[in-house]
Amino acid sequence: MKQVVVHPERCVGCMQCMLACATAHSKTLHLFTAVREDPLPKPRIHVGAGIHGEGFPNRCRHCDPAPCMLACLPGAISRIPETNTVVIDPDTCINCASCAMACPFGVIRYHGDAAAPPGKAVAVKCDNCTARQKKGMVPACVEVCKSGALTFEEPASALGRKTREVARSVSRDAGGEPIAPGFALLNAVKRSQIEMEKR
Amino acid sequence: MKYVIIGNGVAGIHAAEAIRHLDAEGRLTLIGDETFPPYCRPMISMVLEGATPPERLPIRSTDFYRRLGITPILGRRVSGIDVEARVVRLPGLEDGIPFDRLLIASGADPRPITADGLHLAHIFYMRTERHIREMLDAIPTVKTALVLGGGLVGFKAAYGLLRRGIRVTQLIRSAYPLSMQVDRTAGEMILNELVRKGLDVRVGLSAAAFHGNGRVEGARLSDGSEIACDMVVIGKGVLPALSFVPRDRIDVDLGVLVNAHMETSVPGIYAAGDAAEFVDIARKTRWVNAIWPEAAAQGRAAGMNMAGRPVALKGSLSRNVIRIFDMDVMTGGWVDPPESAGFEILSRHDRRRKTYRKLVLDGRRLVGMAMVNDIAQGGLLISLIQNEVPLRISGNALLSSGFNYRQLLN
Repeated sequence: MKQVVVHPERCVGCMQCMLACATAHSKTLHLFTAVREDPLPKPRIHVGAGIHGEGFPNRCRHCDPAPCMLACLPGAISRIPETNTVVIDPDTCINCASCAMACPFGVIRYHGDAAAPPGKAVAVKCDNCTARQKKGMVPACVEVCKSGALTFEEPASALGRKTREVARSVSRDAGGEPIAPGFALLNAVKRSQIEMEKR
Repeated sequence: MKYVIIGNGVAGIHAAEAIRHLDAEGRLTLIGDETFPPYCRPMISMVLEGATPPERLPIRSTDFYRRLGITPILGRRVSGIDVEARVVRLPGLEDGIPFDRLLIASGADPRPITADGLHLAHIFYMRTERHIREMLDAIPTVKTALVLGGGLVGFKAAYGLLRRGIRVTQLIRSAYPLSMQVDRTAGEMILNELVRKGLDVRVGLSAAAFHGNGRVEGARLSDGSEIACDMVVIGKGVLPALSFVPRDRIDVDLGVLVNAHMETSVPGIYAAGDAAEFVDIARKTRWVNAIWPEAAAQGRAAGMNMAGRPVALKGSLSRNVIRIFDMDVMTGGWVDPPESAGFEILSRHDRRRKTYRKLVLDGRRLVGMAMVNDIAQGGLLISLIQNEVPLRISGNALLSSGFNYRQLLN
């Protein structure tokens, strides 16, 4: 089963994924109409900045066992086994924030949502774009990510590739494989800027 | 293998499921004193307030016992444990129930108070689904209520009754509500919010006597003054329900003492949830953390150990999240340690936006946190406390709500 894999070293912090995510979870599914909706659609992926100003797309890991699922008082959080997705039922959610207390990644937010009863704030988090996947589409954040920081692939093959990259980087004369020259340069610039500000 | 679980609450249920997960054959008996299906106790205050219908309380369907092959014995309290014979004693059951592995997940009962006139009608404890049903029956005739206790239960009772349009007076011993969960600043913020919504709070007082004709009509307070009320809710905390535990055989302090495998001083006998006393991760000392998520985790771990898979827990951690009126409060770990503990305290209080964040640091280790009206990433801080992760960024950077998960990884 394909999963969204995050490669933080490739994130440039453009936040396109946030926009795409919010649009994919709106009523009208189009950016130009979504911005006029009530409640205003909000992203479920959150791009923040690391210590050196590098981007980091923070999204639900769909943990197993999921701490939020164990902590949910009314039993609104469940797992779709077919896609290994942890989802929140907005009708059952009582907005108690127990899941926010349990989530070690801080990815659950509380607000009104197109899928929730009108006027009701509920716990909202990534649902792996289940609705899009049913139509044969990839998750919205992956579709718009142009830097390759978000990919949709088999976890086993992603892991295998990573293992090979690490293995190659430790072999004597390989010297590691750069992701792409651009990223290394960008991250180096950000790092030195921060260092200069500190001085 | 014969498993017996005392307790039909969240710890008992999770233990039963963990056992069944690993052992499909063993004989599993579950004893509970309530007859209602296994339900979510923290949600009873939402039923009182009218936000949730009582049908939403159960956390497992009615065929739960049948589906998992559990023999339920409901509506009865255990009278004793015979440690040598390995038998649980029940009133009216001559031979008792034999066990190879026993779990004490009996939970807690409300702490009783001593006052005259406690026999009067409309004086309630707030602990079980039945208490709430009785309160809801009384509410149509109630205009003013008296709530004793400034803890989570007293506080939720006061909130629920206010939402029902009842005039509420709350008596608390400390200077602000939730003194076990929050510090003075957060406590006063909560108090102000409740007072603004019409709650009458009196501090440093308790009730000495109740009077009335059949049902309660008023109370005399510890300072000699009188107050009229049609209803009283007692929320002075809870005590582990351990009347049946032989204290000369099983080590008991406030709760049943357990090790990292949730096993008591007697091999084969385990304890979990509100009845168990474990190590608190932040305080580094024995502690009863009577909270829902701990009970779930401990029950699950106990069940796995009982079924033969050794699972160790590191300790328990106090934490709470409360949402009332327009206010969100989340706390975790040791929020208000004494000055002698020598911890570094960082806080940021924005009076205009009514937000407050507080961190308690032991060197590079986070040991406590409190957040008011700004709780979205609180779980991250709780996980830092729980896993004792040394901080790589300054505490001040962690105080600002804009910090990102990535910053903790570098």
